[in-house]
Amino acid sequence: MNLFLRPSPFCSLLALGAWWAMTPLANAQNPAPASARPQLELQCVSYGTGPMLECLVDLKRRDGAPLEGATVTLGGLMPSMPMAHTIRPVKAAATGRPGQYKGTLELEMLGVWAVDVDITGPVRDKRSRNLVVHECEGNARCPATPARPADMAPARPGAAHKH
Amino acid sequence: MSDRIHSSTGAATGADGAFAQAVRDALCHLPGLGGAAGTHAVGLASDMAIMSLLALSAYLMLLVGRVSFGQQAFFGLGAYASGVLSAMFQVPLGLALAAGAAFGALCSWLLALPTLRLSGLHYAVATLAFGEMARIALGWWHWQRPGEDGPVGPAGIEGFRDIRWLLENDVSPAQYLGLTLLVLLGVLVLLMRAERLRLGVGLRMVGQDDTLAAAQGIAVDRLRLFAAALAGGLAALGGGLYAHRTTYIEPAVFDPMLGVHAVGYALLGGLGTALGPLLGVMLDLGLLDASRLLPGWRMVIFGGLVALFLRWRPRGLLDETLVHRIATAWRLRRGTAGTPGLAPMPSPPNLSRRKTP
Repeated sequence: MNLFLRPSPFCSLLALGAWWAMTPLANAQNPAPASARPQLELQCVSYGTGPMLECLVDLKRRDGAPLEGATVTLGGLMPSMPMAHTIRPVKAAATGRPGQYKGTLELEMLGVWAVDVDITGPVRDKRSRNLVVHECEGNARCPATPARPADMAPARPGAAHKH
Repeated sequence: MSDRIHSSTGAATGADGAFAQAVRDALCHLPGLGGAAGTHAVGLASDMAIMSLLALSAYLMLLVGRVSFGQQAFFGLGAYASGVLSAMFQVPLGLALAAGAAFGALCSWLLALPTLRLSGLHYAVATLAFGEMARIALGWWHWQRPGEDGPVGPAGIEGFRDIRWLLENDVSPAQYLGLTLLVLLGVLVLLMRAERLRLGVGLRMVGQDDTLAAAQGIAVDRLRLFAAALAGGLAALGGGLYAHRTTYIEPAVFDPMLGVHAVGYALLGGLGTALGPLLGVMLDLGLLDASRLLPGWRMVIFGGLVALFLRWRPRGLLDETLVHRIATAWRLRRGTAGTPGLAPMPSPPNLSRRKTP
């Protein structure tokens, strides 16, 4: 195939792209030490139609001190429908309590959602938690519970669904 | 570590590194890519580019007359393979992606061997069954190694977390989008160039009528195996890119709906050119999903569109006829009407595997 033998702008573009892509790879350094990753606690409640999912994020350094001054962005996707139903990320605001941030996601439906917590600032990290968002009637606020394997497993005939 | 993570010069050294860093910085500071809206735009564009790779893999199979509902399996296998390499063995991203793509191509080729004689519905069901087998197998797969922050690796149905290559190497989402777009562009140009060669014409002939193609001496089985391997490799490449973008994968991600969507995008966008699947992705993810014009109705509209197209325009928006018309109009405008533009049909002996006297 003369495509690969004859120099062309296309080949040059590919070569440039490959070089650009490889440069950071060649200079890649060792993985980050463990001590830099913050400890994360995520608690979410759902309410209203949509539904809305209000999340509280508590960040601590490894030594237990609250992680302040971070920029926290919340996002979400449905694992069973990747690249569809990707909701708009929201920036979580500091609540005033050290290391605590709060943001509200507008979901499209109930079910299992993977909530992403993207942290930049003093440290850069990204965590994901699978939560089950339950239906919540009226003005009630219902806690979104961590998804267990049974929630994520494909349905099996005859298998009891435990909650 | 903090210094390394936040220092933009930490990942590149020397003159070459400085230039590469400048390119990455330029991408990082593109207007409109800051804030939550910018994050959403970058995320959406990355998703569209990755989904386009999967749609292109479905398109390749459709090109040789195969409706595959199992491309999501290769997407998943590529995601796990490249994730294992980069997260558990610290293999550089490029190599991990390449190895994942090669693994996907190998698996797809192995699946194509016993299904060569199947056609139509039987082939579609076989690929769907393979996709489900692969997804369930990934749900059983536990293989973790101790990491700095606890065990890392596939944990069955709970998924595979902490695929952190991008975070550890200070690659921002905008930079990763640039890399993803570059990969997509490379694949697209390769496919569009290949379509103008004998290879591309041969693939289309096999897809249109394999009996006639075989009668003209075309190696139908060989071309189908090649197309299957290439399609598997493309899907796996998309999977690898997806795994590193989200840092987290689980078997539920590789649901049959993902494969159905990939086929839908190719059918909707058109089979006349490799740009067709991209158009399908843009229509669904870019227009229906991102715009939130009709929330809750997206799947209904998308499904309805596919059904309408199958009835009234079975080879999609950009079908061969429209592509030919556009190419002819383009040539006329450029004053090169006599020059063959789109894939000139080679004479049968050129495609033959038999030597002609």
